[in-house]
Amino acid sequence: MTSEDLSLPRPPVLTGVYDAFPLLGGYIPVAISFGLISTQSGFGILETILISALIYAGASQFLFVAMISAGAPLWLVISMTLLINARHVVYAPNLAIYLPQNRWWPWLMHGLTDQIFALALTRMAKIPEHTRIGWYTGAALLAWLSWIFGTALGAIAGEELTTRWPLLGEVMPFALPALFLVLIAPRFTSRIWVITLSATITLAFALKLFGYVNAAIPLAAISGAGIYYLIQKLEKHNAK
Amino acid sequence: MPNDIWIALIASAVGTFFIRVLPLIWMQRHIARRKSQEAVAELPTWLSVFGPLMIAAMFGVSLVPATMSTETWFSTIVSALVTLIAWWFKRSLGWPVFAGVMTYGVVTVIF
Repeated sequence: MTSEDLSLPRPPVLTGVYDAFPLLGGYIPVAISFGLISTQSGFGILETILISALIYAGASQFLFVAMISAGAPLWLVISMTLLINARHVVYAPNLAIYLPQNRWWPWLMHGLTDQIFALALTRMAKIPEHTRIGWYTGAALLAWLSWIFGTALGAIAGEELTTRWPLLGEVMPFALPALFLVLIAPRFTSRIWVITLSATITLAFALKLFGYVNAAIPLAAISGAGIYYLIQKLEKHNAK
Repeated sequence: MPNDIWIALIASAVGTFFIRVLPLIWMQRHIARRKSQEAVAELPTWLSVFGPLMIAAMFGVSLVPATMSTETWFSTIVSALVTLIAWWFKRSLGWPVFAGVMTYGVVTVIF
């Protein structure tokens, strides 16, 4: 039985929504924080919501708001925002091989965040090809709308929310590391992957600890790739 | 909102969108060319390695607690273990994450 013969237990769009549900735990608290910080920085509620809807990249949104508030020049705000988002260039190519022909894919790339990429890379290969655009649409829409919803919540009632339910803000964010762990766990299948993945995780963790927040992800991944090729080379050498 | 802020917002949004979409178009054309040459449509090796490593890096970064304390470190470690154990048994996405978050909540409340 090929994967094409398998039918999803529910409509593709709903399957995407269901699979993306864990993202809410990570997205909404951060979006609330952004909404709160943005309004505290002098942006209006509508402006804050538009920033989340249009840029849709967490770290760069915080930077955008901070730099505008600090009076940074226009070119610097734009270039720094795009620099932080540069890591997104590797996401679509990774997924391209799974995407059936459809004119909507370019537009759907607006929804391609770190987390949607992680989810899609794992799930796309396992579902029938004709269901993938529906799946992706459902997952990406849920994530995007929750990001906008969370931002609006933060902008409108962020102060009350954080003081009334501080525990939620502490606990919900764990959904993201839990999801990432579940997504990479199946990859620990060979010695080269165990070593490479462990090194990448450790390096990213350390870089974050030492304050290199925005550089941690690309630097750790690039270093991990270097380790992968080094081990591969060594194994080939030993095989001779 | 002043005009220059609007310009910054639109430029940042459009630029971010292009960062996401242009690589897709490039890769789709690459795949189409490979197919027309009757070659196997596959990713360049470096890219297929890089994808999972990005996820691993995201995991490493997101694992660092927002506030450093013995309690948050303990909650993080225990919850990660519970998530892993739940994944081992369920082999699905939703329940392990739910178990991890619930564990984090319980441990946080207890301490």
